[in-house]
Amino acid sequence: MAVTTRLTWKEEKSLQKLLGHASLTLLYKSSVHGYSIENMLQRCTYQGSTITLIYTKNNIFGAFILGHYPKIGEKSESLDSSFCFSLQKKDNTIEIPTFPFNRVPEITANRLAFYFCDYTLFCLNTELKQIVIVYRLEDKAFTTPKRFHYLECEVFRVEGIKDDSCYVRRVTRVTQHREHLLAELRAYKPSTCLIPEIRILMLGPVGSGKSTFINSVKSVFQGHVIRQAIAGSDITSITEQYRIYSIKDGKDGISLPFMLCDSPGLEEKEEAGLCIDDISHILKGCIPDRYQLNPQKPITPSHSTFITSPSLKERIHCVAYVLDVNSVNHLPCKMVKKFKRVQKEVLHLGIAHVALLTKVDNWDEILQDDFLNMNRSMTYESQIMHVSKMLNIPISNILMVGNYASECELNPLKDVLILSVLRQMLRATDDFLEDLPLE
Amino acid sequence: MAVTTQLTWMQEKVLQNCFGGKQFSLLYKATIHGSSSGDLLQRCSNQGPTITVIYSETYIIGAYVQESYQQINKGSVILFSFQRTENSEFEIRRFKACTNNDVDGQRCDRNILYYGNRDLNINIYTCYISMSYNIMKEIGLPLGDICFQECEVFRCEDLLDQRKINMVTELSKSLSSDMRTYNPCRGLVHQIRILLLGPTGAGKSSFINSVKSVFRGRVTNQSVMGFDTKQFRTYSIKDGKDGNPLPFVLCDSMGLGEKEEGLCIDDIFYILKGHVPDRYQFNSIKPITPSHVNYIDCPLLKDRIHCVAFVLDANTVENLSQEMVAKIKRTRREVIKCGVVHVVLLTYVEDLHLITKADLVDPYRCMPVKFKIEAVHRELGFPLSDIFVVSNYTLEWELSLSKNFLILSSLKQMLRAADDFLEDLPPEETDGILK
Repeated sequence: MAVTTRLTWKEEKSLQKLLGHASLTLLYKSSVHGYSIENMLQRCTYQGSTITLIYTKNNIFGAFILGHYPKIGEKSESLDSSFCFSLQKKDNTIEIPTFPFNRVPEITANRLAFYFCDYTLFCLNTELKQIVIVYRLEDKAFTTPKRFHYLECEVFRVEGIKDDSCYVRRVTRVTQHREHLLAELRAYKPSTCLIPEIRILMLGPVGSGKSTFINSVKSVFQGHVIRQAIAGSDITSITEQYRIYSIKDGKDGISLPFMLCDSPGLEEKEEAGLCIDDISHILKGCIPDRYQLNPQKPITPSHSTFITSPSLKERIHCVAYVLDVNSVNHLPCKMVKKFKRVQKEVLHLGIAHVALLTKVDNWDEILQDDFLNMNRSMTYESQIMHVSKMLNIPISNILMVGNYASECELNPLKDVLILSVLRQMLRATDDFLEDLPLE
Repeated sequence: MAVTTQLTWMQEKVLQNCFGGKQFSLLYKATIHGSSSGDLLQRCSNQGPTITVIYSETYIIGAYVQESYQQINKGSVILFSFQRTENSEFEIRRFKACTNNDVDGQRCDRNILYYGNRDLNINIYTCYISMSYNIMKEIGLPLGDICFQECEVFRCEDLLDQRKINMVTELSKSLSSDMRTYNPCRGLVHQIRILLLGPTGAGKSSFINSVKSVFRGRVTNQSVMGFDTKQFRTYSIKDGKDGNPLPFVLCDSMGLGEKEEGLCIDDIFYILKGHVPDRYQFNSIKPITPSHVNYIDCPLLKDRIHCVAFVLDANTVENLSQEMVAKIKRTRREVIKCGVVHVVLLTYVEDLHLITKADLVDPYRCMPVKFKIEAVHRELGFPLSDIFVVSNYTLEWELSLSKNFLILSSLKQMLRAADDFLEDLPPEETDGILK
């Protein structure tokens, strides 16, 4: 007999995703290696973090244990970030509700029990080949004990995850927080009825990730990677037009009340990249969507598509300065000067502004474990201080992001970061809009 | 400490290929799990075929055993060794140990693993191995006992097992179904037109044949290969032998060439906007003009190109001349100016170093594929997320599950790209349908 798992590929994929794209190595299979606890422990101790799966006729129950498998009679102590779960088939997808342990599983010669406080969540009895369930994961409720005969028990080593409780806590809670953020942003309304749609302008050097950020935001709302704002790198800017992108909520969904505006990159040289005078016109709302910008010749009021009296809603309401985090500390003097000139104009026009640092390596650690605030990571502190001084932006409005630049699939941790950043931009905008003089 | 192997991806891959396309699951690691044969047997018995790997300072030595680890077993044994080296080129030397029924294939006794007729002895307690001199010469080892630092044992499983086959079958069915029912951007056009652009010989026409083959159900060769394409061609794809046309069309064009050869850059604008008719004969030096008899004066949205796929041969992509690189970049700029969304297809991925048929099921996990994708990103500037790999039908008569899957997956990405393009069209070009 081959030693292979009973999991279907789809079930395995769902489990891997639950743990942040871990990989699983089958170590123990009861029908091959023997049903006793001793048989199991022989193969599963000192293997690092593990997943134990128990198959009944209609269900799969499991336990994730962070760190090494405990031994028989091992004394109880605090167990962080381990949890039980079950695989639930719903329509065409597999859902995996979880519930945390906070005690080391108790192992005797024929019994393996998992606890939350003094409650047994579930218990495996190898002598009787029974599993006793006391907590119904799908209903999130305790129940009278239910006994099932189990068909198989498998234990896998979990690889490719960070072996610390913060990481595990984060990846297991991220999906819930993602849904929360999506709901909040779908329900967003600008704080003043004078402006039905917020426009956020991406400004930054060539190759800093402006178009990629726009694609990343669109991707989160679409549910798959999108490539509408043309991204890539070259010596000069890929983007040559001024673009206004609306964000649709799902395929064929309605547009959300904020738009992301893309512009050509800034360049050191005076007559290259986005022209300073054009920036002023963009900020005031005089430049229409798709206008072809010319680095040497700014738009003039006599141009046929120039918008001479833009309304409030046509203006830019927030500017996001987009900078590659790895080049922030090495910006050429002329580029810094350009930024300061732009910032002066932004302040003069009373426009909200944030900084967005891109190409962040440890993007999965930027937010705190509860996803509510940014970690002040020591890794990028000097970059943050540098930008704060250069542009006079408060630290809480210096945002960090990892765009969808190299993945073909969405990652909920990255989704949450992108959505959090977007929400901060909208909050910064609301702060400024409330300060609008009545005109 | 994490329980992970010391083998690099390349080393593991060479070993896997050497033993017939296996995948390895690490079961035992001496420095973590203990240095007795009892510790080893606890974890490795009854696991099916295994491979035991020994790491000395300069060599990796091991044994593949067909039967499960037990106290004694009689399965066949293959001994091997290779040098630990920084470069990716190394050679595995193999020796098939005695399979005579009178001699045990593998035996464990008091912390020593014996193979064959004492051909190889591994003492996991003292960390020494000894071997008969003849075999040491055979597999390229220096004579004498060898001290080692680590011993790892892996279970060997088929890389493409039934479970994975079932997965790919199911996914391919789902993808095929999505293609058949695909409705471009709420019916803005009936068919998406995908233009293939790339150097001559990169596999554009071959890709078209491969797509046709997938939906035909057998390998077909309608688009002539082996000759430079000189015409603009639009190929409709039928669903099955006499089925309905699918909602996408593949457009083939002259290949990009050096200097004045190949597709004229000025023609690209006309192709993208839909002015060039099917079967138009390209001229490398002279683009089509509005006065040409077949020029399409007022193309509709359905006549335009909705997605471009740059087709590049994965095996030669790092050896493109500076001139070709510049031409591809110029071509891309033309595409960008017209607002057309585009992707990259890397073809002939099956010919990359160490890639086997079983890898095609998930090629993005293979280092050689990653290197090529990164090379395209670095040299040509395309985003990593827009680069896909395919394997065309070139020599086969019958369809392959993994090739079908790759082709369908890349098509899906192109249809999504086309949706992105259509959704972003200015209102005056969509007659207000989208508003």
